[in-house]
Amino acid sequence: MPELLRPGSIDEAADLIARHGAAASVLAGGTSLMRETYPSDGGYLIGVDRLGLDKVVSHDGGWSVGAAVPLSVLREAVPIAALQAATREIGGPAVQNMATVGGNLFARAPFGDLAPALLALGARLVFATAGGETTQSIEDFYAGWADGAPPRAGLLTRIEIDAPTGASAYMKCARRRYSTPSVVTVAACVEKDGGTVSGARIALSGASAHPFRCAGAERAVIGSGLDEAAVTAAAAAAESAVEPQTDSVASEWYRRRMTGVFVRRVLAALA
Amino acid sequence: MEDKLIRLTVNGRDEAVVIRPLATLQDVLRDTLELTAVKSGCGQGGCGSCSVLVDGELRLSCLTLAERAEGAEVTTLEGLNETNAIVPLQQAFVENYAAQCGYCTAGMVVAAKALLDRNPAPSRDEIVEGLSGNLCRCTGFAPIVRAVQQAAQALSDTGEEAS
Amino acid sequence: MSMKELGVVGRNVGQRDLESHARGQTTYYEDVHYPRMLHLKMHRSAEPHANIVKVDTRKAAASPGVVCVLTHEDLPGKKVWNGLAAVGVGPEDEPVLAFDKVRWRGEPIVAVIAETPEAARAGAAKVEVEYDPLPGVFDVEEAISGSAPALTAHWPHNHYIYPDDHAASQIRFGDVEKGFAEADHIVEDKYQTSPIEQAPMETNGCIAKPGGDGRITVHTNTQAVHFARDNTAAILGLAPGKLRFLGGTVGGGFGGKVDVAVEPISVLAAMRTGRPVKFKYTREEEMQVSSTRSAWRLYIKDGVMNDGRIVARKITSYQDSGAYLRFSSYGSMKHAGHMPGPYTMPNVWVDARVVFTNRPPSSAMRGFGVMAASFAIELQMDKVAKTIGMDPWQLRLLNAYRNGDMRAHRKVNEDAAMVETIQAAARLAGHELPAEYQAMTSWDRKAS
Repeated sequence: MPELLRPGSIDEAADLIARHGAAASVLAGGTSLMRETYPSDGGYLIGVDRLGLDKVVSHDGGWSVGAAVPLSVLREAVPIAALQAATREIGGPAVQNMATVGGNLFARAPFGDLAPALLALGARLVFATAGGETTQSIEDFYAGWADGAPPRAGLLTRIEIDAPTGASAYMKCARRRYSTPSVVTVAACVEKDGGTVSGARIALSGASAHPFRCAGAERAVIGSGLDEAAVTAAAAAAESAVEPQTDSVASEWYRRRMTGVFVRRVLAALA
Repeated sequence: MEDKLIRLTVNGRDEAVVIRPLATLQDVLRDTLELTAVKSGCGQGGCGSCSVLVDGELRLSCLTLAERAEGAEVTTLEGLNETNAIVPLQQAFVENYAAQCGYCTAGMVVAAKALLDRNPAPSRDEIVEGLSGNLCRCTGFAPIVRAVQQAAQALSDTGEEAS
Repeated sequence: MSMKELGVVGRNVGQRDLESHARGQTTYYEDVHYPRMLHLKMHRSAEPHANIVKVDTRKAAASPGVVCVLTHEDLPGKKVWNGLAAVGVGPEDEPVLAFDKVRWRGEPIVAVIAETPEAARAGAAKVEVEYDPLPGVFDVEEAISGSAPALTAHWPHNHYIYPDDHAASQIRFGDVEKGFAEADHIVEDKYQTSPIEQAPMETNGCIAKPGGDGRITVHTNTQAVHFARDNTAAILGLAPGKLRFLGGTVGGGFGGKVDVAVEPISVLAAMRTGRPVKFKYTREEEMQVSSTRSAWRLYIKDGVMNDGRIVARKITSYQDSGAYLRFSSYGSMKHAGHMPGPYTMPNVWVDARVVFTNRPPSSAMRGFGVMAASFAIELQMDKVAKTIGMDPWQLRLLNAYRNGDMRAHRKVNEDAAMVETIQAAARLAGHELPAEYQAMTSWDRKAS
């Protein structure tokens, strides 16, 4: 059974993570980690409940969200439609009161449905390391994943979200309405100049080893009027970009088909 | 790692309990304090049968470390009946036949209380969403939703609290 | 009898335990607490089919907190059993704890009893089993093809033999081959259902508590408390009076709590240690190890006339029993008894087999055997309707059984309500039926 450590400062927590390396797991809301069983000795759970990471600070141009902010608090504090939709799609109300913004970004597929919304919003992640604070774009963070597991980048302390300059949408395909794992999840943020798309971020989770931005789908809609041809091209690009797994939730075939369907639906909502 | 003494406030009473390392709130409530309305259907946050309120918020006791509940007000279903009177929300479950085997019922009532405390006049969709983390396998969802609707109606008729 | 004399019909009747449920005061088996209670965790087979070369429990026994380790050598009574042996079903084929072979992944081999659930889990993980893996068979038709390995010596061809020496639960009524020869159309297809887990909210479990009087009290969530007690006594070679079973409060069963899966080994552990022992399935065990509704494969061949009358139906069914018999022979009897569905036809042939594979054993679940029959029959009825271009409602009304009809299992039909039920469903669904179909009743079949 691992040992629970509850550091009282961010520096102390970052030191513990650096010192224990792969033997350390960060325990935030516990909705993923507490499901594990511990048949063998060893390892450390590093609790982050005493670090003051449970606040949302609103400022000019955006929000600074503590990594230990529960999803239900994020929903109340940050009025962005895609983000609010995402918080309702993860677990039931009890899980939303417990699961944290930071913790969800480390969830293994097919879990982790907050990430597409934050990818679409271009969020930045701030880590405390033994050597000081580092900031990384959320897409770089996911690019660093290997074999479905996150990089050891230090302690995630906050998520910086800029006020969106376009419209955003979020949809999760699942086997029932609430409290259920993802078949595929799609979020998009689209900026328009007149009727023409001038910028787009389209992100997916559930149908690949980790969440990612789909450059092919973005290219297909930039410069278009989100017309049928552009949306069809974006859906096709997403279908070929995902690497779905077959599990008890859905087959590879179904996840790929639904990827196209839900990219279309999300873009239709933004047309 | 050694056993540890922690202090909890449960259903309004201060409790000092000795816990094993990584003991969950569920372990302490069920096995130490014998508050057995807290059920243990899956132990992994999938069923809602262990639902409790922590500082008035719905939580899953199976995923909560007991020592992280120190300093908070914990309420289990038993906490609704401190005076031994059945509360309107529970009465609505009885009148609507909203239980068969009863195993999910305790968690359902706690989740319904959390919902009504936050939103005293929920729509049917809001009730479904509010109970979405709680599973029933005797397929009793329809009467459960009706029970919560009735409790909400009673609440608005009388101006009283649901529970 | 006037309605006034009926005390219950037509009224809402209070459910006795509802208030207790709503208050959280209902006592389920694990809501009793005993000091010094031990916890049991099973070490299970990692292989679907293998000879057991060696079982080494030394590291498990030395694991911190472990009090007792039980293998098949510790069983004082039966090594193999079947729950229905007392009513003549057999031979007994299922090991209480596996010894020479394992036949499905998840089969119990060694019970580890420890001071805490965590210590029991850690101890069970340290049991070392050396396997000599054997080819497995996972398909019912492959299993009986003659080329598959035999799972047990009891069933050399991997299918059950009924006590009357039949390889299947059978119906022989009329002459289906003659019916096919006379038919205008032959409609045939293959149907398959999947195993289904009952998934009760409360997993299988019990607490066995030794008493000073030499009796063991067992708090259990079995659906069949006397059945569980008698089988536990038979397995352990005890007089039933030595066991006091307390049950009746079940956190969902649906057939998934009649396997006597936890009680015998818990009682043995309580006898060995002199302490209360709790054995509770984890959710993973409930989903992966507890028995499911069985999967079925059916082949249905119908002879149909242009006017919609089905004149012959031939059905071959394979029930995937998994590695052992449990209640599957009864399931296939119910399956055959349900055929050919709620329809009257002059020629019926049914063979319903129980087949053994290296899958988890299947068992009871709400109308087991019958659901697969209805699923396949009703899909087949739609296929027949489509083939001959007839409205599927009318096809069912035409063939529905009437009072006085001889059923395929040679019982004259009484209390038929199929015609009226379909008519009521059609009204509710807004499906218009021609006048002659609306006028049909369960009493009016003309002798054909």
